[in-house]
Amino acid sequence: MKRTAVFVLCVAGLGLVLYPIMWLVSASLTPVEDLVANLRSLFPGRITADGYAGALEGAGGESFWTFLGNSTIVASGAVIGNVVSCSLAAYAFARLRFRLSGPLFAFALVTIMLPAHVTLIPQYVVFQQLEMIDTFVPLILPKLLATDAFFVFLMVQFMRGIPHELDEAAKIDGCGPIRTYRYVVLPLSRPAMVTTAIFTFIWTWNDFFSQLIYLSSTENYTIPMGLRLFIDQTSSSSYGPMFAMSVLSLVPIGLFFLAFQRFLVAGVATTGLKG
Amino acid sequence: MKAHKVVGLVLGAVFLASGCGGGSASGGQTEIRFIWWGNDNRAKVTNEAVRLFESRNTDIKVSTSFQNFQNYFEKLSTEIAGGNAPDVIQMDYRYLNEYAGRNVLLDLTPYVGKEIRTADWDQGFIGSGKLRGKQVAMPLAQNSTTIVYDPKLFEAAGVKAPEIGWTWADYKETAARIQAGTGGKIAGSTDFGGTEDVFETWLRQRGKTLYTDDGKPGYTRDDLKAFWQLSKDFRDAKATTPAELVTTLNAGAEQTPMGKKLSASEHSYDSLYGGYNTVRPDELKLGPYPSDSKVLGSYRKPSQLISASARTKNKEAAVKLIDFLLNDPDAGKILGANRGLPANLKIREAVAQNLSGADKVVFEYQKSVDAKLGDAPAAPPKGDGAIYKLMQRKHEEIVFGRKTIDQAVEEFWRDAEEALK
Amino acid sequence: MVLAERVHPAPVKPVAEGAPPRRPRNVAYLFLGPWLLGAIGLTVAPMVVSLYLSFTDYDLFNSPRWIGLDNYLKLFGDDPRYLQSVGVTLRYVAWSVPMKLVLALAVALLLNSLRGKGQAFFRSAFYAPSLLGASVGLALAWRAIFDTWVDTPDHALITIVLLSAWQFGAPMVIFLAGLQQIPRDLFDAAAVDGAGWWRRLWSITLPMLSPVLFFNLVLETIHAFQAFTQAFVVSGGRGGPADSTLFYTLYLYERGFTEFRMGYASAMAWVLLVAIALITAVLFRTSRYWVFYGDER
Repeated sequence: MKRTAVFVLCVAGLGLVLYPIMWLVSASLTPVEDLVANLRSLFPGRITADGYAGALEGAGGESFWTFLGNSTIVASGAVIGNVVSCSLAAYAFARLRFRLSGPLFAFALVTIMLPAHVTLIPQYVVFQQLEMIDTFVPLILPKLLATDAFFVFLMVQFMRGIPHELDEAAKIDGCGPIRTYRYVVLPLSRPAMVTTAIFTFIWTWNDFFSQLIYLSSTENYTIPMGLRLFIDQTSSSSYGPMFAMSVLSLVPIGLFFLAFQRFLVAGVATTGLKG
Repeated sequence: MKAHKVVGLVLGAVFLASGCGGGSASGGQTEIRFIWWGNDNRAKVTNEAVRLFESRNTDIKVSTSFQNFQNYFEKLSTEIAGGNAPDVIQMDYRYLNEYAGRNVLLDLTPYVGKEIRTADWDQGFIGSGKLRGKQVAMPLAQNSTTIVYDPKLFEAAGVKAPEIGWTWADYKETAARIQAGTGGKIAGSTDFGGTEDVFETWLRQRGKTLYTDDGKPGYTRDDLKAFWQLSKDFRDAKATTPAELVTTLNAGAEQTPMGKKLSASEHSYDSLYGGYNTVRPDELKLGPYPSDSKVLGSYRKPSQLISASARTKNKEAAVKLIDFLLNDPDAGKILGANRGLPANLKIREAVAQNLSGADKVVFEYQKSVDAKLGDAPAAPPKGDGAIYKLMQRKHEEIVFGRKTIDQAVEEFWRDAEEALK
Repeated sequence: MVLAERVHPAPVKPVAEGAPPRRPRNVAYLFLGPWLLGAIGLTVAPMVVSLYLSFTDYDLFNSPRWIGLDNYLKLFGDDPRYLQSVGVTLRYVAWSVPMKLVLALAVALLLNSLRGKGQAFFRSAFYAPSLLGASVGLALAWRAIFDTWVDTPDHALITIVLLSAWQFGAPMVIFLAGLQQIPRDLFDAAAVDGAGWWRRLWSITLPMLSPVLFFNLVLETIHAFQAFTQAFVVSGGRGGPADSTLFYTLYLYERGFTEFRMGYASAMAWVLLVAIALITAVLFRTSRYWVFYGDER
């Protein structure tokens, strides 16, 4: 009885929450003239797959698969970068003793608080000096250098939850900090790293602004950039392909989430947010 | 005092050092970068023209890049600030002074009439790329203000379509009748009170300008008050869109009341007709502005211009590409009417020969008003971008009843002066 | 363990006797290497530059000119739109953060009473909106669904609050994780005592969940103060109508990138940084009164 009530509530909530997504899917299948006339209706009548054909064809002389490939490279690079570098930094903050530990960690947190727009140009200058504009390096290198302090924070939280007895046991076995990290802390932090991986993948996938700034050639464009090539306020826009590509671009991140979600919950749960 | 000078020096050095990037030469080839905004079609034809240019100038390699209008300027400003300015830059009339006024565009004056041929040009139109005596850009194509309208609704209400000679009072009456005829469901006109382009056209009809040559407002508080009163008269006569539709201007055509089938007529630019035609295929027409004087007020506005970076290392190549895009007959054939009416009159004529669809509508409109069009004034001064939005904002405050017209005019004036400083 | 202690790392237990005292210190910097390099090269230097720029008149294209405190003085003394943006942002934070957290918590509670495949399915489905980010397509969907609301000054902000609340996936997942860690025996004992659902929620679930709630509160508050993309896509970057959705960062962006007053924008950024830091600090202070940790039970 109670289970049924919960189930009904879930389904009802789901309908509400998924309505905009259904709208998007419906819009991607509707001829644009019909869409304008029936903006709010989910089932406008005529259905067309033209949008999807146009989306797969791509824009600016590059196909959808080019954008998809680039987005995958950038997002995967970011995931690897964040998982490796943030876990290294987190290990130092969580498990090792050094003089500047406190101030450095506080500083790491403060870096989350400054709006990115004002550091954009100085950062651009750095990459320009390194002649890395129009490559994926400016999008991946910062992750390899753990500039996403959010994830350092997340992992520190987790690693603190790992019992210290394990470190000491490792030490007795003759392990130094590096081997302790490799053989004790790292395996036990796997759920936290999966958490980091999922959030990084989804957020990088959707991040438009830095990709706009650093990528110039159409063959290097990612999905969020490709999407915007269909829309131009000063000429005519192609809404069908744009909506279709919006829907298509959800598929990889949706799959990523589905594949890893059971680790996600386990990851956050054991992150030691609770004592 | 001293500390900041040291910091300033160091940072200044970083910024200066960063300022000397740019095209690099490889294997005896000059490499230049050309960027523009627009849609996929524009990218296709532009890239084709660029390839033709490369095949004729094998010593020059052109790398291209495009974005939509909004993203374009976000990226451009970052690139220039970061010392990575593109060599050839598509420019917007309203942004021209923002960039040229900050000395980032190359003075093309020495090339005009020589490397950049202008024999087949309307000489008055060349001046639209001139600022304080310097040719900082060349107009690529021409557009003008227009009224987009839905002929079916005009017919149904038994009113005359827009034509040269109709007045603002005619417009109000026409719009009110259409609105009444649809039971108020479709507005007779889209509220124009927040749009600087309409204000400018209206000012020119009254013998004034938006800006004087030295970049001061060319109108008084009373002019603005009268303009906002005119827009209010339309609202009072139930001849225009309700308040909540006012704000969707300057968006893509699909977001405007016209695009949403909520208005029978809308102020716009003829170059935007393609966008309207996408969401409402073959339903809409273009007509002239109403005017209470002999002056139509619309002028030959550069829909886009083309500039070179002041920091380009390859001036000759950049200038060559600019001339090619503007004046080469084959390039003209490829580019067609994509950016609007080509500036080169011979190319314009050739393009006009085989037009269809939306482009044809635009060309025919331009032909019908051509005799009435004025020459473009100098590009708006720095700060106009802020004033453009300010006008929209203050008008919204009036429409939503948050300010009286008098209050809005005063506040507008104060903020506009600040923006022009 | 107390979250506050984790943010300012408490001294870790001394290493086992006999271990070389200096080595871990150096090794720590080895582990920190990538982060330090990134922090110095890509974070500290740009931050210092932006701090310097906040005392200058800088138009992006020409060398910055030192003007002392002028930008800061103008912010507070002579810029009504700045104050408007502060008001909009505070209202947004006040509405969106509680709304998002309550929604995330409610759904997490609901899901927590499901098990196995059912929970996995609904978890993914409720997370789906958070996959969308703030894309053009979503902006158009939002404008279509809320139609005239988006363009009315009294309602425009609400639509953005709703958009943010709608993407409640991340805090939901974190709540769910916290809920699953509450020992079952606590509930069983309470049920024996005859405590009803509300009573158990109030006396067991919420206190046990308070560290997670606190974590979400801190992060969502920081994010809300920096809200940009949702507002940008919904209002087309304008903050309209009539400045009713002029978020702090939106105004900062307008000043910096469309009016080319990057010095001013930098000053705005630093004021925001200080404000967020202060509010975070206050949240940490209050946490000792309402955040309960497992080991205090």
